[in-house]
Amino acid sequence: MTIAVVLLALLVCAWLLAVIEAWLTTGRLRPAAPLLAGLSHLGRESLLPRKPDRLFFETAPVLLLVVAVLGAAVLPLAPGLVIADLATGALFVNAALAYVLVALIMAGWGPNGAYAMVGGWRFLGQLIAYAMLVVMPITAVAMRAESLLTSTIVTSQAGLWNIVYQPLGFVLFFIAAMALAFRAPFDLPTAPGELAGGVDAEYTGVRLAVLRLARLLLVITLAAATTVFYLGGWHGPLLPPWAWSLIKTLAVAVSMLLAGHYLPRIREADLLGWCWKLGIPLALLNILIVGLMILVVP
Amino acid sequence: MFLQAFFVAVFGLAAIGFGVAVFRTASMVRSALALLFSQAAIGCMFLAMQSEFLGVLQIMMMATEMSIMAIFMVMFMMDPGGLGGMDMSHQKRFSIGAGVIAAGAAFAVALVSDWGPVTAAAPDAAMQTRELGIEMLGRSMLIFETAAVTILTAMIAATAVAIPVREPACNDDKDKNDKDREASR
Repeated sequence: MTIAVVLLALLVCAWLLAVIEAWLTTGRLRPAAPLLAGLSHLGRESLLPRKPDRLFFETAPVLLLVVAVLGAAVLPLAPGLVIADLATGALFVNAALAYVLVALIMAGWGPNGAYAMVGGWRFLGQLIAYAMLVVMPITAVAMRAESLLTSTIVTSQAGLWNIVYQPLGFVLFFIAAMALAFRAPFDLPTAPGELAGGVDAEYTGVRLAVLRLARLLLVITLAAATTVFYLGGWHGPLLPPWAWSLIKTLAVAVSMLLAGHYLPRIREADLLGWCWKLGIPLALLNILIVGLMILVVP
Repeated sequence: MFLQAFFVAVFGLAAIGFGVAVFRTASMVRSALALLFSQAAIGCMFLAMQSEFLGVLQIMMMATEMSIMAIFMVMFMMDPGGLGGMDMSHQKRFSIGAGVIAAGAAFAVALVSDWGPVTAAAPDAAMQTRELGIEMLGRSMLIFETAAVTILTAMIAATAVAIPVREPACNDDKDKNDKDREASR
């Protein structure tokens, strides 16, 4: 039952996000558009490029979808409403989402196309930039909760949300999450207008439908992770806990879209430079500050 | 207990299967990702043995490490796509001999070692994480710190070696450039 509820919530959020994304892009609010677009993909021919690495080509969209769902499986929507409340939950989110890289390398290498391959390897460079900025802020979050259990992390924020307790960590994690979800301005693996779609370029039909759904779910999972780690999870007045989780998750996801809507795409070298020269020292500083606060403030 | 042994065996066989696939393919990316899934299967073995933290950590680390290895294999091997049908194995007799001896040694260690009494029940996952943390900050700290500093030194050295040395501009070239610039005016 819990699995069905969580999956339904993920799909509803993905649909809402697609509607809002189309609204931001075209200026028209069309609730049925994502469903119709999905159905039209299913009706189209799913082309196979020449001499592909068939195993990678077929596996990549499914793997991306699976890791996005696996990441969401340890994030609680409400007290007790979580598929698996693992003792290593905060680490598990990171472990599951590490395979986004594997999926994109497969999607890049599989079709035997230049643009796709460049896109796939670009994401590897992107990972070198953002990886530490995912792990280090989570470390500070786990330090405050004294646990890797995601439900304990939420309950540790009952008095004060982590966005207030460790705002630096929130900013770093939010940026890293956008880079992990390869949304603009970190959409280097797809880079529309430059790489002709990159890792998406050679996918059509049902495979493309799966890939797009997976990308939407990935954004939702990362937004849900931000909610659990920094925005107090299900905590909030009046409304039921699950409603607060969904509202916060959608708000984070939409803010990611908005940020991408107004910012230009960043260069790979600049991203690496900023993340390593500024991001990682700030992440270490965040850990130090949180550590001092834990020791000093009762 | 039976289910646990069953899954340990299944993931163990998967690890061996992917390990064999590393050398059975000519594609560098397939080879690297086969190694990734072999290591991830070992992570799943940890999970089946109720060692949650180690399992999740192994699965997480291998994804990035093996992917980075993949791009180096693609960069440095002459036939990264495997379209030329390159054979990944070489020195076959020596390799088989070394493999048999290593496997025999591993079995011998497994059989001869005194493993002590079998634990009735593993501590719960949260307690394991805590105990592992205390262990790492206790007697194992020196080992990990030494390894970490060694790796950091190697990373800095490798980066320093990889950065090309910028030669100062030659005076003759500079004069020539100045003359060209004046001529263009």
